[in-house]
Amino acid sequence: MTLSVSAAAGEVAERQQRDWVLIALWLTLAIVALIWIAPFIFIVFTSLKSNAAVMSSSAFAPPVDPKFGNYSGAWDRGRFNTTVFNSVIITVIKVPLGLFISAMAAYALAKIEFKGRKLLLLAILFGTMIPFQVMLAPLFTLVNGLHLIDTYPGIILPYLAFGIPYQVFILQSFFRGIPKELSEAARIDGASHFVIFRRIFLPVSLPVLAALLILDFVSTWNEFAMALVLLQDRAMWTLPLGLSAFQGQFSRDYGQLNAAIVMTVLPAAIVYLIFQRYFVSGLTSGAVKG
Amino acid sequence: MRCLECLVTSKPIFSDQRTQAALLIAPAIVIYIVFAIYPMVNVVALSFQHWNGLDANKEFVGLDNYVDIFTKDPVFWGAFHNTVIWTILSTVFPPLVGLLLALGLNQPIFGRNGLRAIFYLPVIIAPIAVATMWRWMYDPFFGLFGQVLTSLGLQAWVQDWLGNRNIALYSAFVAYLWQTVGFSMVLFLAGLQGVSKTLIEAARIDGAGRLNVFRYVTLPALKPTITVVLVLAIISSLKAFDIIYGLTGGGPAQSTQMLALWAFTQSMQIFDFGRGSAISVVLLLITLSVVIPYLRWTRKSEENEE
Repeated sequence: MTLSVSAAAGEVAERQQRDWVLIALWLTLAIVALIWIAPFIFIVFTSLKSNAAVMSSSAFAPPVDPKFGNYSGAWDRGRFNTTVFNSVIITVIKVPLGLFISAMAAYALAKIEFKGRKLLLLAILFGTMIPFQVMLAPLFTLVNGLHLIDTYPGIILPYLAFGIPYQVFILQSFFRGIPKELSEAARIDGASHFVIFRRIFLPVSLPVLAALLILDFVSTWNEFAMALVLLQDRAMWTLPLGLSAFQGQFSRDYGQLNAAIVMTVLPAAIVYLIFQRYFVSGLTSGAVKG
Repeated sequence: MRCLECLVTSKPIFSDQRTQAALLIAPAIVIYIVFAIYPMVNVVALSFQHWNGLDANKEFVGLDNYVDIFTKDPVFWGAFHNTVIWTILSTVFPPLVGLLLALGLNQPIFGRNGLRAIFYLPVIIAPIAVATMWRWMYDPFFGLFGQVLTSLGLQAWVQDWLGNRNIALYSAFVAYLWQTVGFSMVLFLAGLQGVSKTLIEAARIDGAGRLNVFRYVTLPALKPTITVVLVLAIISSLKAFDIIYGLTGGGPAQSTQMLALWAFTQSMQIFDFGRGSAISVVLLLITLSVVIPYLRWTRKSEENEE
């Protein structure tokens, strides 16, 4: 009796202590989160201020007389018409196409026995780790040799090449986990691998494909280094190139510069906020389990 | 031989397993080899040549480019030094802060999903946009840091964050830290899901304190995740390009110059493709010295699982 009472009392005491720890933890995390989000607030506020207001008001003072004109001004001077158009074209072609050819290869690597499969898999795994971005000069040489500088294929093909290893690797490990029974029956009925891939494997892997699609959208949308080397003509620039040039030319026009930042960042941020859970599953399926 | 068979038996043309596999793999592999593997091999070839990037003829010069970058290039060793510092900083701080955040956000606290989202948000922003944001925040006159310090009465602390060559590298790193912490955090959060709850409870019933539970239960279970996070941190720090390009362009006085950016500058701006490629090869070798042991380790641990 006494034992259980004292145990219960101990539990209560421990729980109270635990509550205090959790509250302290929560406060700490909330403060750190505020620091983390402060830059965004600062950028959005500045994007709505005139230069005079930037110089006279405090960084975190909300804009008194919001200058939405900064956005249209930045849009025109930053040639957002062109850069958004190019970014959209490149992303819309590259992302689904890359995922499709990666899925095809992943299916073959996971489900068809053939010679040299292990070696190919190793080459793919190797590709997920090598920072090809440091080899910008030979990439330029190659694309220039093919006369594809300043063209859509000239940027899409390298983007495809650098996206393939990671996607193939994730997808093949996912396909491997799909039970044999699912495809065996179709095989006996004489269906080819193409049919099995399209009719059975693609539909069941939609969640993984969605996760990879979103991750790839963001990294394609954000890519800068290769675009810098392969797209030299202003008319072919993507959003990140446009932003970098804007910063170089108009860095003293604070309101418009920050409006340009907001417009560049917003699409990826919106996609992230809508599809949050896919980001986590896409990332972790590769890095932790794989 | 097999194809003859399939003609004779009049099966569909691609009924052969190997042909089907080849057709499925071909598009991905061809693009991967031509646009990723070939440039990697070619960078080694270019590093033994003298070439301005445009001339039709390239001149084979042996190891000259390497001798040049090691002995004559006034920037190379500085860039090397900065890359080492940057890599050490990025292997220590983002994973450490990410781990602490993950441990906190793994507790049942109010609004933890929202908090996780906030820490992860910078990860999905273009590094060049992060650079542009932070360049403005570091503005010594109207930027965020100057203003916050001034309002706290600490005007004396205000610096030309990116213009002072003694601190520019560290200022740039703070921006990088802000962007990358969320990535480590998410990986650690996933790793924490794999830590056995019953084991933790058992340890606590046995009277182990929080620290001891962490030290003897959580930490050992997190080992594979820690390895992955550290390897990814090293690799991504070696290719840090956008953020330096956008924040400082390697300046002031090359004080933030890095190998990846210097390789680019030599080739694409000074038009010395030989030297630029030699620098890329150095960077590639450093990366391989991390990647190859890591790949061996993953294969070993996979075999152990089987």
